[in-house]
Formats: sequence, structure tokens, C-alpha cells
Amino acid sequence: MQFIKRHPILISVIFLFFAIQLFPLSFEEKKLGNPFSRFVLTLAYYPQKFLFSLSGSIVGVWQNYIDLVGVREENEKLKTEVNKLRQEKFRLWEAELQNERLKKLLGFKESSPYPAVTANVIAGSPSGLRSQVVILDRGTVDGISQGMPVTTYEGIVGRVLMVGRKSSEVILITDEISAVDAYIHRTRARGIVKGKGDGCVMEYIEKKSDVSIGDKVISSGKDGFFPKGVVIGTVVGIEITGGFVRAQVSPDVDLNSLEEVIVILKSPENMVFNE
Amino acid sequence: MNRLFSILFYVLLSLLFIVLQTTFLSPNRLGVFYPDLSLILIVFLALFSETKAGAIIAFGNAYMTDVLSGYLFGLHTFSRLAVFTTLKGFSENVYPQSKLTQGISIFFSTIFSWFFVWAVLEMKTDIEFDISPVSVISQGIVNILAGLPIFWMIKKSNARIQA
Repeated sequence: MQFIKRHPILISVIFLFFAIQLFPLSFEEKKLGNPFSRFVLTLAYYPQKFLFSLSGSIVGVWQNYIDLVGVREENEKLKTEVNKLRQEKFRLWEAELQNERLKKLLGFKESSPYPAVTANVIAGSPSGLRSQVVILDRGTVDGISQGMPVTTYEGIVGRVLMVGRKSSEVILITDEISAVDAYIHRTRARGIVKGKGDGCVMEYIEKKSDVSIGDKVISSGKDGFFPKGVVIGTVVGIEITGGFVRAQVSPDVDLNSLEEVIVILKSPENMVFNE
Repeated sequence: MNRLFSILFYVLLSLLFIVLQTTFLSPNRLGVFYPDLSLILIVFLALFSETKAGAIIAFGNAYMTDVLSGYLFGLHTFSRLAVFTTLKGFSENVYPQSKLTQGISIFFSTIFSWFFVWAVLEMKTDIEFDISPVSVISQGIVNILAGLPIFWMIKKSNARIQA
């Protein structure tokens, strides 16, 4: 231990060396999800799920507190009553919105050729470096496995990166290591949609292809991960780089406010080209 | 016995901080300006805990951060351990009870941690490091603002456990 205290810089350099050597393993999917990592994911699941359930109540209590600040004592009873009604109204409104979302999800789930499970987003990434990761409250016990596509009724969300027993980690399509084989819906021009943090970019589109702003981008199904024909986003900008066209794509799904999603139970091993 | 309780307290605190960081204080929600609770805890451990137990808890905490942020194996684990050992080395020569020391430690640990991550990404991958120096400095300031009261709370709670 004295060595650590005497040579902190040397130790840091050694750590840097190890990090440089080991970091590329992060991208080798075979190394993903070792039992210890899965244990960590499961360990975090219970408190995350608890906080997720609690957060609804906390919002209600906070709303209650805000509403009650400055209320005079004689009006307390009346205000409480009004507040209760407001909360009731807020809850009903929330339920109505959730109902609408779930109806759409159910419609999407039923129209999907693959079996699917719905899941709640219970947490996000703790790191600012890779914030494009969310955690779902479904895991291996629900039939989820690594690589399965995750969507909403609005379009593609991402794919499952690691699975614990009851929770799983999803990498969003806006993450820099994410890539989806895609078509321009109108002209069938093909390219690869890659994440770039705050959005996506469709690369390797042939220069002669017809691409316009406003075109919808859909998955081609040829990458083996995502089913064919699921909406990814809309083209919002075009530039020509070298022999290719590069299109800026804005995902149709609001990835910053995900609540319920669908995990399509389609393993990459079961992929079928030209579905 | 007190030592054991103290270690258990830090372990539970580490788990609590990770859960809070993934839920209410996730960068997914807050953007770049989020208080990095894990880093704050590791700075605290480096300044105030014993080396062996502190290093193990720091390792566990950083590893969990790696796993829950898309399995960035090694990035947080090693960067945070480097922060821990560097601070531990310097903590012998400074007065850790001073708020100024604590603030400076948190700020420079934030900078050091990001610099470490940047170095790994630059040397080994073609992933773009899209966090600007201004964002890193701002996060250092956010960490100081959140870290000093957290330090005070941890010390109070730990003192109560020791008593």
C-alpha cells in the first residue's frame, strides 16, 4: 500500500496501459455479459425498479408540496380537496396518455410477424460518455436475449446489448457504435444508419440515388438484427462526401423520453435475408 | 466492528449512488451537467478512507458504472482507480478536512478522469470524443457544488455509525 502512496502517477500510467489494452474487448460481443456483469445488472435491477415505481409517487408528493406552499391555514382543507382532485385529474390524464401509448404498442405488437414483449424503461446510463443506453425491466426470464431489436410504435429504439435475469441493457440507435442497414422508403436507396450521439446519419448511399429532405428511412432487415420495414427516422439534411451521399437522419422516436418499448423476440441467429 | 460497519456503509452508499445515477440523476436525463456521484464517492474514499477497502469499493463502483453504461470495460474501472490512487498519493501531503482541498480534489479528479477517457479513446478507437473542454470544466464545477454537501453528509453519517 505504501507503494501506491509513493508512486501514484506510475500507478495511473499502469492503469492507463491496462485500459488501453482491455477497452477494445468492450466491442467484442462474445465477451459481453459475463456472469459477473449479469449479476451486476440484476443487482441494480431491484433498487432501480423500486425507484421507478416510487418516482410516480414522488412526483405526486412534490406536486402536492408545490401546490401547498403559501396556503393559508383556514383554506388548508379546501386546498387539500382541490389538490386531491388535481392529482386525480393528473393521474387520469397520465393513465389516458399511457393507455393511448399502450394501445399503439399493442397494435404494433400484434402486427409484428415476430413474438414480442413490452417493457418499461426503468433507468439510464450512469456515464456521460455513453449516455445512449437505457435499462429495461425485462430479462432472460421473459425470453429476451442479446441482440434483439427494441422498438416503439413510432420506430426503432435500439438493440439489446446485455441481458440480466430480470433486466436488460439497450443501446440506442443514436449511440456511436450502433449501425442499422436501411433503405430510403420512397426510392429504396440503401445505406447504413449510424448513431452520432444527438441523432443519426445514413452513410454509403450511392451518389446517383434519389434522396430528399423529408424522406422516411426504414430498416432493410439485412443486418440480421432488425426486422424489415420498421421506421428509423426522417432525412433532415443531405451532403455529398466523396462518392457517396450522407444523409442526416432524425429518429422518429423521442429517445430522451422513452417510457414503454417493445422487445421483438427475434434473435440475430434466426435472421432471414430478404424477409 | 466499527471498521466493518464503516466498510459496509460505504458499500451500500456506493450501490445507492449507482442506482441514483442511473435513475434520477442519469446523464440521459440531465445532459452533460449532471453530478457524477460515483466520482464524488471515489474522491471521498481517496481522501478519507483506508487504502485497501477504499480501493476495492472504488473498483466495484467503477465496474458497475462500466456495466450499466453499455459495458465500456475498463474505461471507468481504470480511470476511477487511477483517480483513487493519484489522490491517495497526494492526500498524505494535503489537509483533506479543508473545503478548499476537497473542492480542488473533486474538480481536478473530474478533469483527470475525462483526460484518461480521452487518452484511451484517442489511442485505441475511432470513437469521437465529443465532450468539449468547456463541458468538462462545467461538470467539474457541478461536481464541486454537489460534492461538498455530499462529503459533509457522508462524514456525518459515518461519524454516527462509528459512535
